[in-house]
Amino acid sequence: MAVTRQPKRAATPKVKDPAPLVAPPDQPIPAQPAPRPKDAPKTMKELRLARAGKRASRAKPATNVLRDGLRLARIPDPSILVLFGATGDLAHRKVLPALYHLWRTDLLPHEFRVLAIGRRPFDDETFRADVKASLEKFSRLLPLDTAAWRSFQERITYQHLDFEDPAGFDSLATRLETIDQEHGTRGNRLFYLATQPSQFADLVGQLGRVGLDHERLESGWRRIVIEKPFGHDLDSAKRLNREVGKVFRESQVYRIDHYLGKETVRNLLVFRFGNGIFEPLWNRRYVDHVQITVAESIGIENRGAFYEQTGASRDVLQNHLLQLVCLIAMEPPATFEANALRDEKVKVLRAISSDPLDPATDAVRGQYGPGWVAATQVPGYRKEAEVDPASETETFVAARLTIDDWRWSGVPFYVRTGKRLPKRATEIAIQYREVPHRLFKEEGIAPDANLLAIRIQPDEGIMLRFGAKVPGLQLDVRAVTMDFTYGSAFNVDSPDAYETLILDALQGDASLFTRADEVEEAWGIVDPIISAWADSPPPDFPNYDAGTWGPEAADDLPVRDGRRWRRF
Amino acid sequence: MTVEAPIKIGEPVLRWSARAHSIAEIESELARIWSGQDLTATIDGEPGRHIPARTSVMNLVVVARRPELAERCAATMQLLTGRHPSRTIVINSADPDGPSWFNARVEAHCIVPREDAPETCAETIHVTCGGEAGLHLAAIATPLIVHDLPVTVWWPGEPPLMTRSARDLLDGADRLIVDGSSWTGDGLARLREMARLVETSDLAVSDFALARQSRWREAIASIFDDQDFLPYLRSLRRIAVTYSTHDETGAPGSTNLVKPVYHVGWLASRLGLSVHKPLAPVTGHGHGHGHGAARAARSVMSRGVAATLSDGRGEVAVVVRPVASQTPAGTTLRVELLAERRGSELRADVTAEAETVHVRVWQDGVEAMERHFRAPRRTEVELLAEAIESGRRDPVAVGALRSAAAIIGPAGSGA
Repeated sequence: MAVTRQPKRAATPKVKDPAPLVAPPDQPIPAQPAPRPKDAPKTMKELRLARAGKRASRAKPATNVLRDGLRLARIPDPSILVLFGATGDLAHRKVLPALYHLWRTDLLPHEFRVLAIGRRPFDDETFRADVKASLEKFSRLLPLDTAAWRSFQERITYQHLDFEDPAGFDSLATRLETIDQEHGTRGNRLFYLATQPSQFADLVGQLGRVGLDHERLESGWRRIVIEKPFGHDLDSAKRLNREVGKVFRESQVYRIDHYLGKETVRNLLVFRFGNGIFEPLWNRRYVDHVQITVAESIGIENRGAFYEQTGASRDVLQNHLLQLVCLIAMEPPATFEANALRDEKVKVLRAISSDPLDPATDAVRGQYGPGWVAATQVPGYRKEAEVDPASETETFVAARLTIDDWRWSGVPFYVRTGKRLPKRATEIAIQYREVPHRLFKEEGIAPDANLLAIRIQPDEGIMLRFGAKVPGLQLDVRAVTMDFTYGSAFNVDSPDAYETLILDALQGDASLFTRADEVEEAWGIVDPIISAWADSPPPDFPNYDAGTWGPEAADDLPVRDGRRWRRF
Repeated sequence: MTVEAPIKIGEPVLRWSARAHSIAEIESELARIWSGQDLTATIDGEPGRHIPARTSVMNLVVVARRPELAERCAATMQLLTGRHPSRTIVINSADPDGPSWFNARVEAHCIVPREDAPETCAETIHVTCGGEAGLHLAAIATPLIVHDLPVTVWWPGEPPLMTRSARDLLDGADRLIVDGSSWTGDGLARLREMARLVETSDLAVSDFALARQSRWREAIASIFDDQDFLPYLRSLRRIAVTYSTHDETGAPGSTNLVKPVYHVGWLASRLGLSVHKPLAPVTGHGHGHGHGAARAARSVMSRGVAATLSDGRGEVAVVVRPVASQTPAGTTLRVELLAERRGSELRADVTAEAETVHVRVWQDGVEAMERHFRAPRRTEVELLAEAIESGRRDPVAVGALRSAAAIIGPAGSGA
């Protein structure tokens, strides 16, 4: 017979003459005792120390002091990365090359395994050959390091799994336990969902059903990486968060927006909070407006079916663009810890949604027609493969956002993104106000207001524009720039965003990942626009030629406020 | 003069070379490089555009006392690909007792790091001097330094840290790069001098000997990431470091001890251990418990040096002992830790196996953890690249150095 051990209970102390609950009628009602201060002494020792003017020291949680100051990136715990959608494009273009680079640079633990999950009937050898072919195509450093590849490929195994077959997940659980035993991966698992978004909820449900989410005592950690898009709109995002939340705790969930892993995006935080001179000028008193441009010269690159479902609003505005707005507009977090950082970002998103966008006046959509980009004639969007010839999907979106908080009240943030624009450029421009009193008023010599441009791609760098006197006897003022280019200061290759993010997820650092409430707040901003557009078909699509900067209406957004888009 | 050389992506090419015989001539050649119209290239389809100097970042002064050392340093710097300082000054002084002379070669090396990146250039000034001129290093380096940029001094070989010439040069420097594992003897006297230098100045120090062991530190730290083992960290009772020696006696002073002592210094500094007794040779019989000839043969090997540290509650025994091995002399082969807590014992054994660090842990005699960390030997190029791009003082390095010096003890003590 099984014996259930009862938890020990502390003996109830006997109390002498407990105070009566109701005072006798001939005595005054005792005064209600003052609430006990939180830090009041609770034990005799604490009381004695308090009277002696000392405070009992509270045991601090022990920390591993040997970790302090180590310059090398911490090697993650032994673990298995379970890659769902392992035969797909994302896995081969991004995830597997990132893992290979991490391995090549000794940043993964020796006891590391990749369990690649896919529907195709591969065996280990054919899958590895497939991965090698992809690395030879997509690795950022070629040729491949033969020794590194050899040891890396030994750690890759393939498992065929039909996501709709529950029994497959039972055998997955068994397989993972076997790998733990054979390779010392200690039960630590990172589930990476590089699949179609429509499969996320089912996959998570299956993982929960077979108990692969459980972080039991001494059974290792369990984390899950989910690729964007996180939902299709606010409702679906909430639904997905709810489904994921039924199985995994929020602290186990890592939602990847790869933009946040880019070196220059991460440098935004260093630039803002690691330098003393910019932050005092980073507010409504000095900043006239902010422009963020994410321009792509490419089209939809054989992703017609995907793009038809998403469009520029869902593909870029809801995530990348709003993340950049957050990083520019957020208050300094108290610490560089994940939740502190994300709390501040959520505050920005809430401050944007507190004054909802008017789709008619604050947002513009566009779709490209045929045109010329980089001296090449390109077809219009409706002529792309897998695209409806009468498609109403937007390939361009521009918006005017306002952030209703103390720092940014009255400072518009103009954001725009589009496909088939004249060049590839991602840039944040902080346009400063004019000087309060124009000393140099004469026509032709009045200097432009200062501008700080943070280039994210290409030519990552930072440029500050200011006025300078032209040498000579006359007083001519001309705008000059101080230009910092990453490429010339640090001539070393930056890690790919996926390398940064996967390493962070393996180490349990969620700082650069998106939290559930962040996702929902971002959808809350974009959703009204998408809904309004869905209700009113665009009358003029296509409304911009490929190779131009979007529809004319987009130019009007800042022009209405007496401003204009920066010229690239 | 301009040097015509084809551009190769990722490889620095010599674009300018000139001779000079005085500091003034060097300055004038430097000015010619950047103000003249000679050093131009076609960039972004725009011909004749001037090649920009590297935007930042630092001056590097290399003090190479021997010509072969200067050549080796130059070769190392060539391999820094894309991480060159803005200006490198290589000083090779010779024949201090002869007449004074001064020769210099001014070069501009340019690199296109990637297809889509602009070409940038860095300057190298090779100074060869003799006699009295070569004794005043600061007088050579200071006028050639790009002001407002940090100055790093790389001093391969044996830096005479306490000499006037070295102190003058280092007074104007932000960082000193050395390789403690290349010092002669046990290297501990110079380590003590370097600690004193760090205590009495704001100089940051990068020692390749310490940097090479970073993966060891990661491996040792990883043991205590485990919450079950973390409480033992404050209850260490024994630290034993085994190192390789090529000397058949392993006698103190015969092998460089800088790397093994750094391990103890790092642990002591992180754990706040104080020195109860500094390092001193272990006396008594050698290892082995046999009798007769066998015992005599085994006891030839020294038992190393030992120290006693304290964590305020108890003593921590330290032993640094040699083992004959084919690996380079002074290489750490094993770090053993013993911790005792409330009647429970934790033993950790960290060993090097080829390019791997192997960690094994036993809790009360039961094996509780095993991990491997890949630790390929880092080249001088990698170490130099890391050192010149370091920022301010690294508290781990300062702490390890300071504690190592305390463990070695004052001059004239045992070790």
